[in-house]
Amino acid sequence: MSFKRLDPEDISISAESVTAPVWTGNVTTLTSFFTSSTQANGTTGDFYLNVYQTGSTEDTAAIQFAVAFCDKYGSGSVDFTPGVSGFSPSRANYGTYKNQVLGDEVGELKFGANEVTSSYFYAINFERSRFKEKLLPGTLELKLKNGATTLTLTEIIPQTVTYTDAGRKYELKSNAAEEGSNLFLNSGSYGHSYPDIGLIILNGQALDAPTSAGGLALATGPYNSNRLKANTDTSGSQALYDAIVDAASFKQNAEETLSSNYIFVRARNQDFNYSSNPSYISASGELTHTLMIEDPRSYITSVGLYNDNNDLLAVSKLSRPLLKDSRREALLRIKLDF
Amino acid sequence: MGYLNNSVVTVDAILTKKGRELLARGDGSFKITQFALADDEVDYTLYNTNHPSGSAYYGEAIENMPVLEAFPDETQAMKYKLLTLPRGTARLPVLSVGTTSLSLRQGASNEVRPQTLNYLGQGAVYEPGGYTATVADVRLFSNFVGIGINTEEADRLNATTSLGTNVSKTVIGTNISLTATAVNTLFGSRTQLSTTITFIGRDSGARITIPVTVTKPSNN
Repeated sequence: MSFKRLDPEDISISAESVTAPVWTGNVTTLTSFFTSSTQANGTTGDFYLNVYQTGSTEDTAAIQFAVAFCDKYGSGSVDFTPGVSGFSPSRANYGTYKNQVLGDEVGELKFGANEVTSSYFYAINFERSRFKEKLLPGTLELKLKNGATTLTLTEIIPQTVTYTDAGRKYELKSNAAEEGSNLFLNSGSYGHSYPDIGLIILNGQALDAPTSAGGLALATGPYNSNRLKANTDTSGSQALYDAIVDAASFKQNAEETLSSNYIFVRARNQDFNYSSNPSYISASGELTHTLMIEDPRSYITSVGLYNDNNDLLAVSKLSRPLLKDSRREALLRIKLDF
Repeated sequence: MGYLNNSVVTVDAILTKKGRELLARGDGSFKITQFALADDEVDYTLYNTNHPSGSAYYGEAIENMPVLEAFPDETQAMKYKLLTLPRGTARLPVLSVGTTSLSLRQGASNEVRPQTLNYLGQGAVYEPGGYTATVADVRLFSNFVGIGINTEEADRLNATTSLGTNVSKTVIGTNISLTATAVNTLFGSRTQLSTTITFIGRDSGARITIPVTVTKPSNN
């Protein structure tokens, strides 16, 4: 009388891919970058720097991503315990990301077609709420600047995607390298993108390479410069952050699959033409408007979705009342997102 | 020549509290199998059969009114359902509980047996599917159960307990048994507590809400 059963074909499940920039406010290119002195000077600052789109004390400030320096031997950060050499945040970072990507503790990250290994790298870890479900491959454009040299890093989208323990992996190239030429340096590719976990790994040796060899001369590596050779230097994350700030251009889109239930509600011409609304009837049940006895009409404002036990599971409202009488049929599409 | 309007009205639905609870339970009870339509906001006295512009304008005030957003509280949504009845129906089903209000002394019991009038052409019937009864503040009753319907759903609702706070409780039965609370602290400095009970015919969809008062004797 007041409930109508849905046919199986009235319910369909739809998966829709939605893409958008990862940055707050849906800006396509992030050009301003800020850190928080509170975070940087705290214990987590030894491991990574959170990067905001505006001053960290602003109301609208939101973490966009974090940068971390990772070193196999623990250089680039202070040892946890003085005298226990090599056990430091950068080594913990190295193990964390290597485990995440390789799935074992003995392998090495390999960059480029010539599979060059590097004992240190940088991680750019997107805030989960920013990259939602996964990064959209092919949309990365990260500019890094050191002095007068700027690198524009993008992903190489191959015919066959490489899968790792962290899902898909794409090598990074500089836009300066033309397609068909040698995309990789002697030190390997510029890094990897792992869109399924919202992670970019940058090859430390490639960024440290001299500009004449396609590098950025970032000189953070403890083994080919003097900058981080001691375990007391904490500028690993800061060096990459500075290069990002100086270049002032970071693009990345995210991709999310939205699963929706579509329920098609059909009110046939003879259905739902009366109402139990108290203003529709008198206290004894007689219709308020006698013309509705032969020409019943009602107004739809709400649709309720129920289970077999008559539990109201979901409810939706129309934007304005919809007239229903025996000359009209209503077809309503109810969208229910999970 | 014009284009036919073949658009489908698309609206977004929200889960109710009950829907979220059943979804979280993960036992298959969150399965949409049926729907109902309602017109909770509509005041049919606005349907003006004396409109000077004619019958096309009778519903003008209703058709242009804004509609409230959906409430996640399932007890506050879909109150007044649209009904499918044969054309020519002059009287709609209404519920009667034999009184317009209930008044109980502290600790006293009562049993309410709703009846449906004008249902399926009959004067007064007890609906075979029974009635749901929802008390707005369950704290006022130490006992609030439905009797006479022995389905899994009715048993589950009768067994549900709510502790401590001012929440509603819904039961199913042909008869609703209730016992007023004997707890003095609930009254504070007051001598009366009030709430409402809403009865809904599970077959007809007809509903009635009555006020309930629990009175504390002066010597307690």
